[in-house]
Amino acid sequence: MQVHLTLFGQLAEITGRKEMILQDIPDSETLIKTLNDMYPLLANTKYAIALNKKVIHENTILSGDNNIALLPPFSGG
Amino acid sequence: MESQVGRKPNSMIMSERKPKNIFNQGAIPATFIAESIQKHSTQTAIGGHSIFLGQIRADETENGKVRAIDFTAYEDMAIEKMHVIREDIFAKYPLTCMHVHHSLGEIAAGEICLFVFTSSAHRKAAIDACNEIVERLKAELPIWGREIMSDDSHQWKVNK
Repeated sequence: MQVHLTLFGQLAEITGRKEMILQDIPDSETLIKTLNDMYPLLANTKYAIALNKKVIHENTILSGDNNIALLPPFSGG
Repeated sequence: MESQVGRKPNSMIMSERKPKNIFNQGAIPATFIAESIQKHSTQTAIGGHSIFLGQIRADETENGKVRAIDFTAYEDMAIEKMHVIREDIFAKYPLTCMHVHHSLGEIAAGEICLFVFTSSAHRKAAIDACNEIVERLKAELPIWGREIMSDDSHQWKVNK
């Protein structure tokens, strides 16, 4: 499964990418593991995954139509 | 900049409220805040306004002194989430109106980056709603601040 990711804040800084397309990502656990392998610094960085603008809290099946975003801790205001 | 006319009578029905863009490129000018207050003079059912203004603080940190904060956001998600907060707040407090503006881009120390404005017939609703909006906005909206130091290095802001 191909997924399209949007990265924000320090996550975009660590990876040098604001957007990314990854292959063979069936679910969110695979996504996290794949990203940690590609960018070891991410393994020590706290972030949430938003699927179609809603934060997910457990392993979730992903599809190519999903809008997936990686969100570091919020610091607005 | 978004025009801030008070909500019109035909938009007072809750289900008709549409998500509003809260983002403003650059700092929020004091004149904009003054004009927002002035625009409410025709709404004579209002007896109290509450305003929170967030200002960029020149924090002294171990990495140097903050000279500006560069704000970015996941705008679509933030606007949707702010709409949920707005609906919750209108359901909880008897407010006449609510306006929220947050800056994007680089905002210098001393400039205003957040403007929350609530109005009600009596003061308590406006004050309590204003506080609750600020707390929820800081915790729930996907907005990030990159603190730019006086030597142009940077670090990521952490909300306390």
